[in-house]
Amino acid sequence: MKYKDELIRSMEWLGEKDDTIFLGQSVKYSGNAIYNTLRTLDDSMKIETPVFEEVQMGMSTGMAMDGLVPISCFPRFDFLMRCMDSLVNHLDKMQVMTENTFKPKVIMRTSIGSTNPLNGGVQHTQDYTKIFKDILTEVNVILLNEPVEIFPTFQDAYENDGSSLIIEWGDYYNEK
Amino acid sequence: MIDKQFLIDFETEVKERYESGEIKAPVHLSSNNEDELIKIFEDVGEDDWVFSSWRNHYHALLHGIPRDTLMDLIVRGKSMSVYSDKPKFYSSSIVGGTIPIALGVAQSIKIKNDKNKVWCFVGDMTFESGIFHECYKYARNFDLPLQFVVEDNNLSTNTPVDETWGRKQEIPSDIIYYKYKSDYPHHGTGNWVLF
Repeated sequence: MKYKDELIRSMEWLGEKDDTIFLGQSVKYSGNAIYNTLRTLDDSMKIETPVFEEVQMGMSTGMAMDGLVPISCFPRFDFLMRCMDSLVNHLDKMQVMTENTFKPKVIMRTSIGSTNPLNGGVQHTQDYTKIFKDILTEVNVILLNEPVEIFPTFQDAYENDGSSLIIEWGDYYNEK
Repeated sequence: MIDKQFLIDFETEVKERYESGEIKAPVHLSSNNEDELIKIFEDVGEDDWVFSSWRNHYHALLHGIPRDTLMDLIVRGKSMSVYSDKPKFYSSSIVGGTIPIALGVAQSIKIKNDKNKVWCFVGDMTFESGIFHECYKYARNFDLPLQFVVEDNNLSTNTPVDETWGRKQEIPSDIIYYKYKSDYPHHGTGNWVLF
């Protein structure tokens, strides 16, 4: 299967679970590439959020603390930079701070913006994978390079403890 | 039943153990807000979530964290991040950090059609922050079971909140609000080490 098809298959698999919920900007309405991987899911399992990334990240953490598994979508890596406090100081530190009492499972999706056929420029195409791997101590950071990696990555993220930041290549939606 | 003297005595013991050097991490002590909190916690249910900040000992005790459990956390240096899964309690020492988390719990409660509620205690500087207003607006607009409580001492560490903002916002009527003036400094007791 191709890159985008594997993403769709993964989202449909997650959507079959009783405890998952999808949130972010453009999860219900078109506007970015991630939307195209969620189109087959029923709107009742989606929360279209305002543009408030830091709140979205904290909200996802809270939903996970209360037993849901949020799939929290941030259309571009550049936008994820707006939720560093919620991600780095809170979600990533919660297991240590609470001595493993709270182990929220948030599955974050983001994408390195595509450069072909349109180049979004420096605010929309950055790859911050290395920085996030360095700064996050509890959250798993995974870059999806090949289609074959995609489904097992989301499967592991759902089935294992802890949170995951799963990074896609926008360009591969068309290339692979 | 926890009364005012129980709370005061607890903080006094923390003060003494901190000054003796037994507690090797910052502590943020409360005083002069016992009556207000005891009244507020009359409405906090056993299954409710409570979110607090670095100054959380009174909230933790009033929500049902046993005295010895809390004291053990504090002695182990966790005063600023007191937690419990039963009763449900979480705190953070970064301004505004708990608010979107509390919002998410409230969103989850509504999705699952559960009957419990979320209480989020913040100081007056946190109340003035942008993230508070995003979360407050969202919770109000979607009728989420989230009750904010603003505890106003007009201080953020030692900075006067009204001076930094020029003036303070009006408190919406659906937010519980009270003013107090603590006898303790922002952190520590004034007699030990600066953080």
